[in-house]
Amino acid sequence: MSETFGDFSILGKPIRRVDAIAKVTGQAKYANDIEVADMLYGFVKRSPHAHARIRNIDTSKAERLPGVKAIITGKDFNGFKWGWSNPTRDEEPLAVSKVRYLYEGVAAVAAIDKDIAEEACDLIEVEYEPLPGVFTREEAMQPGAPLVHDNRPGNVTVEYHWSFGNVEKAFAESYLLRKDTFNTPRMAKGYIEPPATVAYWPDPSRLVFIGAKGSPYFPYRILSRCFNLPLSHVRIIAPFIGCDFGGTKNDMTNGDFSAVMLAKKAAKPVKVVNTQFDSLTTDLRRHPMAVTMTTGVTKDGIITGIHNEIISDGGAYTRMSPLTHFLTGICMGMPYHLPNFKHDVTCYFTNNCSSAAMRGHGVYHTTFARECQMDMIADELGIDRVEMRQRNIIKNPKPGTIYQTINDIHVATAGTEECLQKVAEAVGWGKKREKVKGNKAYGIGLVAAAFLGGTQLSAHNACACIVRVCEDGTVNYLTGATDVGMGSDTIGCAIVAEVLGLPIEDVDIKRVDTAYTPADPGSYGSRVTVLMGEAAIHAAEDAKKQLREYAAKLLGAMEDEIVFKDKQVFVKSNHARSIPWERLVRMACYDAPGRVIIGRGHSKRASDLHTIADFSTGKGDIGTNYSFTAHAIQVEVDTETGVVRCTDDNNVVAHDCGFPLNTLAVETQAQGGSYHQGVGAALYEEFKMDKGLTLNPNFVDYQRPRAYEAPMTDVIHVITNDPFGPFGAKEASEGSTCTAPPAVINAIHDATGVWIKDLPAQPERVYWALKEKREEVKKG
Amino acid sequence: MKDFEYYAPKTVKEAVSLLGKLKGDAKIIAGGQSMLVLMKQNMIAPENVIDIKGLSELDYMKYDAARGLLLGALTTHRTIEKSPMIKERYPVLAEMEDNLAAVQTRNYGTIGGNVCHGDPAGDPSTVFVALDAKLKLAGAGGERLVNTEDFYKDYLEVDLKEDEMLTEIQVPNIPANTGVAHEKLMFQKADMGIVGAAASITVNPSSGACEAARIALSNVASVPFRSKAAEKALVGKVLNDKVIEEAAEAMAKEISPPSDVHGSEAYRKEMVKVFLKRTVKKALERAKAKS
Amino acid sequence: MKGEPKDLKFTVNGKAVELKVKPKALLLDVLRNDLKLTGTRTGCEVSACGACTVNLDGKAVRACSILALQANGHEVVTIEGVADGDKLHPIQQAMVDHGAIECGFCTSGMVLSARALLAENPNPTIEDIKKAIQGNLCADSGYTKYIEAIKIAAGKMQGGKA
Repeated sequence: MSETFGDFSILGKPIRRVDAIAKVTGQAKYANDIEVADMLYGFVKRSPHAHARIRNIDTSKAERLPGVKAIITGKDFNGFKWGWSNPTRDEEPLAVSKVRYLYEGVAAVAAIDKDIAEEACDLIEVEYEPLPGVFTREEAMQPGAPLVHDNRPGNVTVEYHWSFGNVEKAFAESYLLRKDTFNTPRMAKGYIEPPATVAYWPDPSRLVFIGAKGSPYFPYRILSRCFNLPLSHVRIIAPFIGCDFGGTKNDMTNGDFSAVMLAKKAAKPVKVVNTQFDSLTTDLRRHPMAVTMTTGVTKDGIITGIHNEIISDGGAYTRMSPLTHFLTGICMGMPYHLPNFKHDVTCYFTNNCSSAAMRGHGVYHTTFARECQMDMIADELGIDRVEMRQRNIIKNPKPGTIYQTINDIHVATAGTEECLQKVAEAVGWGKKREKVKGNKAYGIGLVAAAFLGGTQLSAHNACACIVRVCEDGTVNYLTGATDVGMGSDTIGCAIVAEVLGLPIEDVDIKRVDTAYTPADPGSYGSRVTVLMGEAAIHAAEDAKKQLREYAAKLLGAMEDEIVFKDKQVFVKSNHARSIPWERLVRMACYDAPGRVIIGRGHSKRASDLHTIADFSTGKGDIGTNYSFTAHAIQVEVDTETGVVRCTDDNNVVAHDCGFPLNTLAVETQAQGGSYHQGVGAALYEEFKMDKGLTLNPNFVDYQRPRAYEAPMTDVIHVITNDPFGPFGAKEASEGSTCTAPPAVINAIHDATGVWIKDLPAQPERVYWALKEKREEVKKG
Repeated sequence: MKDFEYYAPKTVKEAVSLLGKLKGDAKIIAGGQSMLVLMKQNMIAPENVIDIKGLSELDYMKYDAARGLLLGALTTHRTIEKSPMIKERYPVLAEMEDNLAAVQTRNYGTIGGNVCHGDPAGDPSTVFVALDAKLKLAGAGGERLVNTEDFYKDYLEVDLKEDEMLTEIQVPNIPANTGVAHEKLMFQKADMGIVGAAASITVNPSSGACEAARIALSNVASVPFRSKAAEKALVGKVLNDKVIEEAAEAMAKEISPPSDVHGSEAYRKEMVKVFLKRTVKKALERAKAKS
Repeated sequence: MKGEPKDLKFTVNGKAVELKVKPKALLLDVLRNDLKLTGTRTGCEVSACGACTVNLDGKAVRACSILALQANGHEVVTIEGVADGDKLHPIQQAMVDHGAIECGFCTSGMVLSARALLAENPNPTIEDIKKAIQGNLCADSGYTKYIEAIKIAAGKMQGGKA
């Protein structure tokens, strides 16, 4: 059972989620559950070519099909292009002159039922001129290769070249240099809920859009520009969201744009629901990267420098690739002290569907490479693998001091040392273990990582909250920060309740609705709890301040003497001078001429802190603060087949999330983040491609981590109380997403002596490696 | 999914007569656990669907000492898996079912539906070949029995005439001094086997030699594959690692497994050897334990 | 005529239901679209995710893999029928209390798989529980808390009977 931490009424303990009842009874409504009167069904016509010019689209046959109410093509959007930022707007809502990946949307139909819409799409005749394509990074970078975008020479999506200290000199002076290339797989985001959208126009100048969006203010801005609407007329409503993990549910799909345009044209509500096949062939994926890492060390295993050379497949459009590749390097200065660092990363356009953000964003690729290579180096030097890490670790800075990385990241708290100790202790690191039983080999990998929380990017990145105290003492809490399943709505309510001295049940949160909630970038970069938490404190304090003024008058005390606790408001020096919260609120509201208690607050630390990270130099703070994780995984390898599974034993995450506001949520997040997006990458998941065609576009052929193989992961809370986080909190779980893959691969090596540098370690790959090793041993 | 006409006959007789009337333009659905996946993806689009799931006359499991096990075609996987009688007399069937798809599939899917689906990756057909089971087919012209191994013609193609349906699977008694085993290669539990093997081994209690062997493999050919070469390499010999290894090598020469996203041909070839060896050894142990 | 709706009579969450459905309608379509029981989720097309798991005559099945007409004469329980009014089923209560719930999309299916398991096996091991939910994909919990919650619920339910 969960422990409790700190001296709080609500926080630091297991907190029941505010949405738990709705979810466990099936009452929670997801986008596909939304119905609006008179609603039509939309369907997207998709390209059968991965790269082709569109010569002509003839919709006349489809128009004649009874039941069809509207048909659109890319031309209906009048040349509109969109993208993550101004310079990267390279994508059309539906392709107009050229398709750049297989199944890209080219037209859409709204009809009275799904079958008719689908049938009508079949009747749309599109004339294509197929073009030669590029389907791998290597093809894309060839001189003279076909261009995915005519105005992007060399098919380069984005590149960064940073240098800190003097890597060349450090390498020349190193006792040992190791250079290895590691590959990460092309992966699905993994949500079970395919994206769905309902759009309608209450009048011709007002839009309502209800969709599975983790960042509702992205479509808010994008649709405002696309349809030339004032923002005040764009209403995005977030229903419950069946996971996100970055990417598709952050921004837009062909189906989203189509729903809105079809609804406008038909003057009726339109619903578009992706099939899982649509999702697995066209939704954004985790970038496949080849990470070549060169590390220099002293004889004692102290890291002297690291040089990364990374190439990556961004797919057809830029999307969030500039951020992803920035993130591959920006956190390299943690959790180990790194005195010299060089980072060269290039992402290429290909005619595959686009890649984008995913849990562990960017950091996961280089963490995987570094943590595997760390074991290789430790073994070469004959140093214990955990000891090697401890020698390089950034020690927890003394309170009030800051550790600064070589690229100017500011770390106020770092619990890595404690995390490593606790995990090592939990798995009995160093004790003799039985490694082979029959055809099964067992091994443990133990690794560490850092992750950013409360992302700081340039442009709009603040979070705001509103606390509305109702006259009966209950509270409405509003934020634009979206809970996509991780439990941030609960954290927000808990913080407001804690500050106001109320039970959490008295605080109600509604889902994000851009008509009422404050603008917010949404759910990514582990930003919500850190930034929203801070904003919630400010908003609750603001409301409290308004009530405190009134209470002070009523109780005849100084304002700073007034305490709010357990639904009572009293004078600190004399608890008997008190008034029940409900009575205070009612009196405050009704005492003529009356008051309306509304508190507001927004996150400030993210902008007030240090320098915001600079993409061109790789310098500055990307996070408000930084979480640290140590993670051990034990695997069982079937040495005859190559099948690997994690064991229930010795699977431990120690997580420094600063302070666990909701211990249950931190545990579930760490268990889930490590298994689904971590072990999933390590053992199971990869899209197999053939010239832009996904060969495994379903959950049978595309393996996902399941329950039987799920390790019963233990989570150890490491408390560091970060001064920059709300109540000391930092991010939770993206760290363990990054630690799981190297922990698994190192464990396989520990068990068998074989290095699997290319993820995932699917049975066939492991089998051949084992066979090669056996043959080497035979040859001597 | 495309529209179709739906029939729910009340008796086998009625079902057979419907089949005759619709002249090959119909598909039978039982649990539909394999078929609906194909229909939902429009990989098949039958004009007529005859739903036999409600034919309670085919939902039975009987054992008698003389004839062995009689499995009505509509017995669910879960019923077989949970049956104490099966666990006692045909443990290999219970083990097979424990790894056959998710519980939800086993609860509704039927043994007959699985056998008739004709997927060479299917586990029951492989095990039934090893057990030398017979399939009882009912048609307009009456009933006939076919050997499981003869029932499979090609990928998803079985020996059912237009007006025929499977009604019963007859599994003979496991002979004295015989052990049977089945295992398959899975990434995760209850996956479709990447390859699989079933073996039935009979040993002579006095000489210890293998008297009879039936070896069947899944997902290495377009049909469940019986490896006569492996059987030949085993029969008449005292089984040890070397003999079993030779049988696996002999088998490997006979097959050219498919290559797909789950594994290359070369890997499958290696794996089917591993699983042949594992199941022969397990069957052998069981045979010895009984003798 | 091909595709002509046919009569379907069955019991859903204890209530008799009669309606006409197209032969190709899946049980899932009828529950969600006709009966508006949207707690049964649509996740995949290939019977792999288990988000649509319901109980049919007490057993866990996938509503996406059964024709609605095949449920004729049978009893279906969906997530909406699991709790007793406002009183949660012990499985639901354990999931709520133990923090098993994340995005909630797979939760309905998890509850129905667990409900069928505990009806058949009141004292399951961790291994039994893992097998019972092997057909229910989750994307964010790591399954650990679900497995533990089902174990806790089993304990509570046995305690209640003793």
